[in-house]
Amino acid sequence: MTDDLSAIATLTAVTKRLGSKPVLEGLDLAIRAGEVTALLGPNGAGKTTCVGLLTGRLAPDAGTARLFGLDPRRPAVRGRMGVMLQTAGLPDVMTVAEMVALQSGYYFHPRPVAKTLALAGLADLGERRCGTLSGGQARRVQYALAICGRPDLLILDEPTAAMDRGSARALWATVREAADAGTGVLLTSHDLAEADSLADRVVVLDRGRIVADDTPGAIRAQVGGSVIRCRTRLALAVVHAMPGVREVEAEGAELRIVTRDAPTTLCRLLDADPAVTDLRVGDATLEDAIAALLAPPHRIAA
Amino acid sequence: MTTHALPTGIWRRECVAELKRSWRLPQFLLPTVVTPGAFYGLFTLALARDPTPASVAAGLAGYGVFAAIGPSLFGFGAGVAIEREQGLIELKRVSPMPIGAFVAAKLAAALMATALAVGLIYALAIVGGAVLTPAQWLLLALIHLGTTIPFALIGFGIGMRMGGKGAVAIANALFLGSAVIGGLWIPSRMLPGWMRALGEATPAYHLGQLAQAVVGAEPLGAPLVHAAIVAAMTGLAAVWAWTGWRRSPA
Repeated sequence: MTDDLSAIATLTAVTKRLGSKPVLEGLDLAIRAGEVTALLGPNGAGKTTCVGLLTGRLAPDAGTARLFGLDPRRPAVRGRMGVMLQTAGLPDVMTVAEMVALQSGYYFHPRPVAKTLALAGLADLGERRCGTLSGGQARRVQYALAICGRPDLLILDEPTAAMDRGSARALWATVREAADAGTGVLLTSHDLAEADSLADRVVVLDRGRIVADDTPGAIRAQVGGSVIRCRTRLALAVVHAMPGVREVEAEGAELRIVTRDAPTTLCRLLDADPAVTDLRVGDATLEDAIAALLAPPHRIAA
Repeated sequence: MTTHALPTGIWRRECVAELKRSWRLPQFLLPTVVTPGAFYGLFTLALARDPTPASVAAGLAGYGVFAAIGPSLFGFGAGVAIEREQGLIELKRVSPMPIGAFVAAKLAAALMATALAVGLIYALAIVGGAVLTPAQWLLLALIHLGTTIPFALIGFGIGMRMGGKGAVAIANALFLGSAVIGGLWIPSRMLPGWMRALGEATPAYHLGQLAQAVVGAEPLGAPLVHAAIVAAMTGLAAVWAWTGWRRSPA
């Protein structure tokens, strides 16, 4: 993986412990130029630790982290990277434009401040003090700080959390544009629609290990088939035993049934419970695929 | 070490931004600037039975050190701890900004506040009748502004290790404690022996004695010894600050 020539950021055989508990175990990850890589997984899977290692805030216990072939803990190496963290704040009394101008000064070839503000959807907010911004606006400022230096690597930790759908879509468009222009992007997200529409590659982490690393389409195809949602009085185990069923899960009052043979499963389901209501059939989504990949107790496996 | 170039002007811009930020937070700036002057005016000028030019100048020496300790301990100690809790340090840590620029900017802000606080005391001293030569004023100002450095480093080490509330409490205790046991309010020779002994372990005492020597009051011990001890303590404080930065994850 790490002999990949287009890889601009790599974790090689990385193990990281928190106390005695391993957070990452022998993990290999490569971020390539011009590609959006989405890092997905449940809370505690190790996503934030990966970001910490690549941004130089953490050092691996074993293995190596490299940014453009060098140690990410060196400040000058970080000059080719833009980072948007969930946990970073903004000083209340500085204006948006002042913050972007200050951050731009850290880079050799920054965009003009006005251009950065426009790209981040902040054109009208430049003179506002950061302390007066809404949560979504503050996230957009963090995004502006990440992209102002035209970095070769962009790390976005839950970029659109707290953003409305319109702002999120606008941000996705600018991320896509940056990737098409050659920027490597690492994205962590809880929003699987975001990963599905934006990522060229999806890496699924579970308990410190990679359980899938492929295109969103290929990961969806691993699950294959369809998803049936309905309200029924049947027990989980009964549905589970029906032909074609790979996975059953209770979602509130509904059942979510992943099947490789929707017609057969539907016939048996309607036979067993003619009083089924709210019946819908759809394609397996990335979310369904990832639920199937994760180890118990995240799912009931077929 | 690395010889990677960074864009020029980062340090200067970081300092300007930090000065602006302090200026826009008068609720923090004003108390540190005004309090030492108010104490000095009250105890050395207004309430003193019979202020002479010598007693006014002797008070000036100690209160000036006191005035410099506040902005350093609060700006660095409490300020850094609070900024860490707000995620502002993390924002800087993942950016290409060198840590030196961050410290320099904070130091510039502390020096600005110190200059204002000390300037207020100097003005009061002149009104109160203190007479010093230009060379004495210059040396005194150097000592008072220089006081910022060891205390800023001590504060930084505290700020990187503690939460905001704890750091504020510690900064307060050190600020007032140094003033008392360091002999900045009451001359050390008038303090009980154990207090004076405790005071000798603080840079405040040695800086205070240096300032006393400059204004012509009789110091305890040789000025050069005090200067050497201050230098050694500053070195230790630098280690304390650096290890705090290294071990803190954010």
